[in-house]
Parts: sequence; structure tokens; C-alpha cells
Amino acid sequence: MIRWRAPIDRMVWADPRRRARKLMQFAEVEAQGARDLFRAAEVTPDPHLRRRLFAHARDEVRHAALFRARGLALRRTLADPGPDRALGDGLIPGERGFDRLEVEKESMAALLAFIHLSERAAAHAFAAYGAVLGHDPETRAVIARIARDEEGHMRYSRAELARLAPDQGRRALWIARLRRLWRAYLRLALILADLISRLILTLVYFLLLAPFAWMAKRSARRQAPGWRACVDRSRDGGGGQY
Amino acid sequence: MKILGISAFYHDAAAALTIDGLPVAAVQEERLSRSKNDPAFPLRAITWCLDHAALEPEDLDAVIFYERPALKFDRVLMTLLRGFPQSWRIFPQAMKNMVGEKLWVRGIISAQLGVPAKRIHFTDHHLSHAAAAFLTAPTQQAAILTADGVGEWATLTVGQARKRSGGPAEISLLREVHFPHSLGLFYSAFTAWLGFPVNEGEYKVMGLAAYGTPRFAGEVRHMLHRTRDGAFALDLGYFDHHRAADAAYSHRFVELFGPPRDRFEPIDPTTPQGRHYADVAASAQCVLEEVIVDIATALRRETGLSDLCLGGGVALNGVANARILRASSFERLFVPPAPGDAGCALGAALWADRILFGQPHRDCPDHPFWGPAVVPTDLARLAAEDGLSCERVGEAELMDRLVDAIGRGAIVGWMEGAAEFGPRALGHRSILADPGDAAMRDRINRDIKFRESFRPFAPVVPADHAETFFELPPGGARLGRFMSGVFPVRPEWRDRLRAVTHVDGTARVQMLEAAMAPRLHALLMAYGRRHGLPVLLNTSFNLAGDPIVTSAAEGYSTFRRAGLDLLVAEDLIVRRDPARQDHSLEAMA
Ligand SMILES: [Fe+2]
Ligand SMILES: [Fe+2]
Ligand SMILES: [Fe+2]
Repeated sequence: MIRWRAPIDRMVWADPRRRARKLMQFAEVEAQGARDLFRAAEVTPDPHLRRRLFAHARDEVRHAALFRARGLALRRTLADPGPDRALGDGLIPGERGFDRLEVEKESMAALLAFIHLSERAAAHAFAAYGAVLGHDPETRAVIARIARDEEGHMRYSRAELARLAPDQGRRALWIARLRRLWRAYLRLALILADLISRLILTLVYFLLLAPFAWMAKRSARRQAPGWRACVDRSRDGGGGQY
Repeated sequence: MKILGISAFYHDAAAALTIDGLPVAAVQEERLSRSKNDPAFPLRAITWCLDHAALEPEDLDAVIFYERPALKFDRVLMTLLRGFPQSWRIFPQAMKNMVGEKLWVRGIISAQLGVPAKRIHFTDHHLSHAAAAFLTAPTQQAAILTADGVGEWATLTVGQARKRSGGPAEISLLREVHFPHSLGLFYSAFTAWLGFPVNEGEYKVMGLAAYGTPRFAGEVRHMLHRTRDGAFALDLGYFDHHRAADAAYSHRFVELFGPPRDRFEPIDPTTPQGRHYADVAASAQCVLEEVIVDIATALRRETGLSDLCLGGGVALNGVANARILRASSFERLFVPPAPGDAGCALGAALWADRILFGQPHRDCPDHPFWGPAVVPTDLARLAAEDGLSCERVGEAELMDRLVDAIGRGAIVGWMEGAAEFGPRALGHRSILADPGDAAMRDRINRDIKFRESFRPFAPVVPADHAETFFELPPGGARLGRFMSGVFPVRPEWRDRLRAVTHVDGTARVQMLEAAMAPRLHALLMAYGRRHGLPVLLNTSFNLAGDPIVTSAAEGYSTFRRAGLDLLVAEDLIVRRDPARQDHSLEAMA
């Protein structure tokens, strides 16, 4: 699993700008993950699970701080850190954390299965990045430390799943797996749909809009800035969207 | 009549319910979804409002949306056309945004709530702002000024309004300024250039301005100049909000002020670079104030009215508000607790009741507490499950213990009754602490709010003691009711109010009437009797990046995460486990 992607990872992590950007993004993902987990802790009725989720959330807060500190340090070594974001967010599934966990909508079993799989993906991803970061020992140390925690998160969430839903555990894991796949597919589909609609709308823009644009500009020229009288629309019975 | 007001799809969605002309419930979606500034259709907020009044959607006589989506679409489309062909880049995104959701509001409301389409109504964005400011204010007749980023086309309106308890109400907006000329977007361009998030970071610009001198005011007056008829216009060469969806300032802006601030690096106003940022902020703030004071002064002359109701996001600028009060010769200034777009949910509902349906006016209760109430027994259960000490105590003893603890440096989470509607904690969901301890301010900034050290905290003081500590212009107490004005701290008290006095010697003080929040008022008085001054540091009860807490569970969670010393929900008091070191980096979450 790790070996085939090593060349890609190496390429991704070679550029210090991208490296810094990725670390800052990870910091945001971890911070959001922490918020989701605190929320999960707030809504769970089980006191033991609440304490585990709370402790987990605190780990993620610490991860956010570690990623951020390292990202900032790296950023300060760059002459020009470049834009905050590349196209889209450029994150792969293992880097997405819980990917907008909808805490209130899930059963506890589904939530734990989802946490387990997300942590597992994160642990794998971080292990792979550690392997290609030989040239940046500081970043590597940060990632290795976090990867260890993620393994712990993987284990406790599995154990809690077994404790709280002994007969649904496997099923919940399978459903969560399918949902992660479905989300990945949806994301791809959305990117594709976005590209297509962009293309079509851009064509529309250039083919159809020019005469209207000419009229709009003419009318704009006639309007001096400053006060305008308010149009009284209350006589429409409040019905109109216009 | 039972009327539901909705504000959504832009920033900070909300719902509000009025029954027989009076507010019954109002809450921002973020307080329930726990996602800060949640702009989504506020289904949770609506559901809560209806449940609170034990209503089903079919019981509603009307639902009113706070603006006219098609008119907004007209502005977006027209702006794109006028920007042809440079606007090609943003055209697809803008179209998808509008056509995807924002344009079909009637259908969305009807489908989500199952309310027949003919019961769904719309009003003008700025009328919603005006109604939120005027119909909730204890005045019979007032001039109206609303200013924000942009609604449909209008960005600023002036008008006048009158009402009489039991009689008709009437709001007439006389004139407006149209997009792209906008005071809100002007300020947002500086917010973005200074590296703060637009629509949230504007008050940071205001805080930073106090560190600088307005040495660029001349340049800024070119960017935001006055038109001969007394309005204003932006020099669009400096701005990009009319050309791009995600940009606020242009290359020319950068040529003038230098490269934008790196949002990842802290601002230090003691360095030359930090001072430069502060000077730019001060210049923007100064010119904004000049323009708005001037418009208000002219409005006062024109209407001859002595009260002014101020609405729209620009009314969150407490420094500008105080200057309007000092300089425009209005005697009283009314700013509602939620002057921004969330408050439009309530404004639109009241407008529909009084004006669309012509119901007689009824004076609204003059407080912001329209949200979900805290349930102390929930807190008792959570604390007991975690083995924390938790007691119910009588009022006198509770006050006594709190006064004692705060005097010894404790930071207290304070929850009481219904949550505030609007962005500010006004006494029901607050973090309270000693106002004289600068180390405390730094601890709260660092560990709880995780925010820039240049940002001040606000004090709360009983209204009848405010004059002792703060220099108030006539009418200042009204402006301070919902923390809408920034006033100088009297020099002799600045040292004892260190943690709440900004670098320029001012404070955004809340002046608390006993009737509005009796228990917090009692606490202030008890604190004053023991420690000599009835003032506390009061900041909203939330961690950085989170919305203000609503329920006991959220309060408890925040109490644990932030390492607060005490948590109070009504008469219940929970103490931090002294054996566990709870302060940690996690405030960064
Ligand atoms: Fe993590
Ligand atoms: Fe984790
Ligand atoms: Fe607005």
C-alpha cells in the first residue's frame, strides 16, 4: 500500500512551498476534527465514551498546534510562500480527517466506525509521508509523532465500537467504508460537474452576453453615483421577490 | 398573527418568530448547528422557534424572507454584465451560486416547511434592517440610517419612521446609495488587506485602528469621496468587489498601501510594519466615521428628529456609533443587539406584522434574550458523571462565592436563562473575570480566545454607575445598553480597569439595567461592595472559532476545554477539578 505511492508522495513533499502549505492545511483539518469530536462528546449519553472523545479531541487540538507551528516555521524560511491554496483543496481522503462529520445525524456506532476508518487512513497517510521526508527531519519528527497518536485513536474507536455496539460493529464498519467510497466518488463527480458547467457557462458568457453587456454598460454610464430615490415596493403585498 | 422571519444564504442565517406583534423566539442557526456564521437555510433555528411556541408550520399565518432574491440576482447579473469581459472568470461561480439555491427561496421555504407558497412573503433587505432597529426601539419617532456591505442594490439608506403603541407604524426610506458604492465593502477591503476574514474580522480592524494614527486619511478620502449631493462614492480603481467574487481590493490598492498582510503572521503594533498596518486601519476608520457622521448630521437637520435608529452591519462599529452620538446632534441613538443580517429575521417579521398586514404596533420588550434557555439539571448530570463538584446554592451565597473567587483571579463561565440573539454576549452567556488584571486579559486572550493580543475585552457595569468610570456623552447609556458604543475610560480608573481598557483609553462598555439581567446586575453590585468597583470583564462564552455556547452541554464542554475555574448555570455552580491541569493548547481548536 505504501510502496506504490512513494514516488508520488516524494514529489508532493519535495517542494518546500507545497510542504508548508500542506502542513497549514493539515492544521486546519485537525482543528476542525477537534471541533467535531468535542461536539460528539457533547451529545453522547455515555459518560465513558464522552471522556474518550474528549481526550481524543484534545489530541487533535495538539496536532493542529504541532502542524501549524511546523508549517509556520517552514513558511518563514521561504522567500515567497505563494498562495494559501492550490486548485481546490488538493487533499486526498487520508488527509481529510473526518471530512465534515455530521455528529447529530449519526448513530454512535456509525460515528465510531467513521472515526476508526478516518484515523486509519490518516495513520497510513502519515506513515507514508514520514517515509519520504528524509530530507526534512523536523517535519518528519512532527508527522511521526502525530502518526503514533492516530494509531491510538484507531484502536480506542474500534474498542469503543465493540463495547457499545457489540453486534453492529462489523456492519457499521462496512457501511462507513462504503460511505467513504461514496464521498470520494461524489467529490470526483462534483469536480467533473464543476468543470463542465464552468465550460458551458463560460461559452454562454462569451456567445450570448456581449450585446446585453453593451446595454448594461450604457445604462451604467448614465447613472451618476450618489443618492437615489427608494422604490416603494410595499404595495405589491409583500409577495414579490423583485 | 403568527409570523416567521427568515434570514439566510449569505452569512449568519437566523429565524425569528413573532406572535401578535411581539417577539417570542429568535436564534441564529450557528448557535444550534455549532458551525460559526452558518449561512445555510436555518432549519434548526426555525424548528426550535416553532417548538418553543408549540406551533406547527401550518399554524403560521405568514413566513417572510428578509430580502428579495430576484432583485439581488438582478444586481449580481448586472454587475457581471458591466464587468464584461473581465468578469468571465467569476461568471460561472456567481451563476451557480445564485441559480443553485439563492434564487429559489420561495420554493425552498415551501418545500422545507410545507407552507403554501402564497403565505411566503419578501421584503427589502434594508427595510428589514430598518425595522429591526426601529420597531424594537423604545422611541415613537426616529430618523433611520442603515448601512452594510450590500443588500439587493442598496448599501446605505436614510429615512424616517413613526409608531404609536396600539396605533399604526410607518417606515419610509427616503434615499439610498447603490452597489458598488458601499461603506461596508469599503471597510471589508481593508479587513481583507489586513489579513482578517471578511464579514468577521471587521472589528479587528477597529481594534487595530486604536494603535495607529490616520496618516493616510488623505489618500483614503480619494478612495471614498463625497458626491455633491451629500452621499459618497468609491473610486472603483482601488476595489475589486464589483469585479471578482473573492477579492476586495485591487492592484492599485496594493500599490498605495503595500502588499497585504500575511494572515499567518501575528501583528505586532510596536514594530514599524505593525504600525503601518495600524495606521492604515486608523485611516480607514477615520474616513468611515467622517462620512457616516456627515450623513447622520444632514439627516438630523433634514428630519428635525432627535432620535436615530441605526441598522446594518456597519452599526457594529462601536467607535463610529459613539462618534455619531457625539457629533451629529442626535440626542439618542438606538442600535439593536443584532444589527447585522441575522437580526433581519426579526426585523422582517416585525415589518410584516406592522406594515404588510397593518397590525397595530406593540412595544417590544427591550432585551436580546430570545434564544434557547439553559437547563441546569443537564449540567448537574454531566458534572456528576465526571465526578466534579457541583452544588445548588442560594442567590446570596452564590454571589458571595463568585465575588470572592473572581477577586482571587478566577475566570467564570456564566449561563443564565435564554440565549442572546445577536453577536454579543450581553449577560446570559458570558465569561466573567476581574477587570483590573492585565495578566488575566492575556490568559484569556491566549488560552481561551486564542486571539491577537491587541484586541481588548469589554467591561460590564450597572447603568447607574457607568458615569463614575466612563466618560459618556448625553445618550451614551442607551448606546451602551447592547454594547454598541466605545467610550473613554476615566483616566483615574484606567489602572484599575486595565484588562478592559484599550490602548487608546477606551472601552466597549455594556451598561446593564437591573431589569434586563437581574442576576448579573446583582453580581456586579456585590462585586462592587466587596472590591470597590462594580465592573467585570465580560466576554462571550465560547472558544476561538466556535459560536457562543447555547446549551448546558456546550457550556460544560467549553468550561472544560478552556480551563475555566467555575461554571454557573442559574443557581448551579460547578468547580474545576483542582487536581487536573486543564489549561492546555486546546484553546487553539
Ligand atoms: Fe490528528
Ligand atoms: Fe486522530
Ligand atoms: Fe445587510
